[in-house]
Amino acid sequence: MAQATTSKSAARQHVGKKFSVFHLINGLFFLLFCFLILLPLWKVLVDSFDLTTGYGMKLLPEKFGLAGYTSVFTNKSLYIPLINSVITTVSGTLMGLLLSTLGAYVLIQDDMPGRGLFAFMLLFTMIFNGGMIPTYLVLRKLELTNTLWSVILLPAINVYNLVLMRNFFEGIPKSLFESATLDGCTPMQTFIRIVLPLSKAALAAIGLMFAVSYWNDYTNYKLYITKETLYNFQMKLRSIMMGSDLPQANNGAVENTVQNAAVIVAILPFMILYPLLQRYFVTGITLGAVKE
Amino acid sequence: MDNATAPGIQVRKKPLKTRIAKYKWFYLMFVPVLVFIIVFYYTPMVGIRYAFTQYKLIKDPVFVGMKNFNRLFSLPNFWTAFYNTLKLSIGKLLLNTGLAVVISLLLHEIVSLRVKKLAQTIIYLPHFLSWVVAASVFQMLLSPTTAGLLNQLLIKLGIIDESIYFLGNSRWWTSTYYMINVWKDTGWGTVIFMAALSAIDPGVYEAAAIDGAGRWKKMWYITIPALSATILTVLILNLAKVMNLFESAFVLQNAAVMDKGQVLQTYIYYQTFNSGGIPDYGYTTAVGLFKSVVGMFLVLICNYASKKVRGRGIV
Repeated sequence: MAQATTSKSAARQHVGKKFSVFHLINGLFFLLFCFLILLPLWKVLVDSFDLTTGYGMKLLPEKFGLAGYTSVFTNKSLYIPLINSVITTVSGTLMGLLLSTLGAYVLIQDDMPGRGLFAFMLLFTMIFNGGMIPTYLVLRKLELTNTLWSVILLPAINVYNLVLMRNFFEGIPKSLFESATLDGCTPMQTFIRIVLPLSKAALAAIGLMFAVSYWNDYTNYKLYITKETLYNFQMKLRSIMMGSDLPQANNGAVENTVQNAAVIVAILPFMILYPLLQRYFVTGITLGAVKE
Repeated sequence: MDNATAPGIQVRKKPLKTRIAKYKWFYLMFVPVLVFIIVFYYTPMVGIRYAFTQYKLIKDPVFVGMKNFNRLFSLPNFWTAFYNTLKLSIGKLLLNTGLAVVISLLLHEIVSLRVKKLAQTIIYLPHFLSWVVAASVFQMLLSPTTAGLLNQLLIKLGIIDESIYFLGNSRWWTSTYYMINVWKDTGWGTVIFMAALSAIDPGVYEAAAIDGAGRWKKMWYITIPALSATILTVLILNLAKVMNLFESAFVLQNAAVMDKGQVLQTYIYYQTFNSGGIPDYGYTTAVGLFKSVVGMFLVLICNYASKKVRGRGIV
């Protein structure tokens, strides 16, 4: 937050209020840039409401209709992937936050014997790993493949997020921990009553990072899940786009309309929440810089 | 704990046993984390031994020594995948970082805070969409049929006569891949540079203005040098990850562009899960081991570079 205020005053002072040709060109550049960023998404949105084929260059629907969406939502084979996405996102995010906060809390105990070893064990996984196939073989041996556990548990341990959380915890004054201990709090009580309430911003930021990666997960499903009843919405969307699994188009919707509508359904939850939550995402990335 | 003691006075540490007893609850709290990293990271590392075996799951692994690696290094497909991994990863890294710096500098010049916020909100957005969504969106936008916006536009403008299958043509695939990456991640790449820019002391700009420096002089002599450390950090941090390239290439590639789009991770995937025959897990583990070792060396080099440049490592 402090950074935001500095940037405000810095921007005001060094740019000045004078309007110039430079500002005009700069403004036009960003208008164009934002247009190009939004255009692909706008096009998908428009086409999802357009019931004609051959959309081409149209930027507004020619024959408006909701048939694309009714085709998607009346298709029962899409309910299960949506439910699977919700289940894995919610449980995965909670588990990810639990592991990140526990790990981070232990890593800030400077005096704890073995802390260095624990930190090394975590960081080494960022340097070297067994690779795609040995990981697959382990999950297979544990009989986690073709269960949602594989796609919930594996991404829940994320060393990068854990380190971000540790960076945030390091900013909590040590004296707070000490006085809590003097007041008779056990480490677990200190964790729940002091650390977590003080870390709401970090919990929100890192929780969102987990949630987005669970919602968007495709790779883990592709590797560990072959049963169609366990697909999430990304897997389903992919097979819809590949044309192998197109929901029955009805009420005058054509194939493309249904595909476009499916893309919109996949991004809708995020698009609704994004403007409200955007600042937490930015907090997340700047947490990494706190240590410097 | 003993930080309050004056420097120079040695503080005798309490015996190890007492210290361990003091932290017993913390060890308990670390158990879940430990279980997860052992199961999902360290157990697979033990599986690296399969790289020296033939392992077809129906039978126990048979030790074959370096045979998998000999086979691997003699295959042109493998070298293509290795080359593509480096080219695509480094290419998109340089392109994304370069453009992100330029856009940050321009964003920094926007006077109206509301406009700046709005622009940031919009350009960050695609980063949070999945690669499956990005691939779906561009599959339709770049389609060679009459539904494809870009082809229709180029034909209308008279730039091309016939539709180009951007994602299905080897000649166009690589640049299309870069373009989609720019759309998705360049905006988000500005976040870290914007943070660095806002940390510049406004007093420096005022002093420069008094000395008669204009906009470009200020940018050249103050803003860009202030960013250089951040630029290097971003490059180093990401260079360490170039071997991991998978999902973006996987969802955008297809049979027609494998000479350009095949990377090591997708090669491993297809050889194991989509090879048609009985996959040899030993062989694909060997490919993975090669990838991990190269990746590890890159991380170590980057770590060394990072220590030189900014005084601390990346991990």
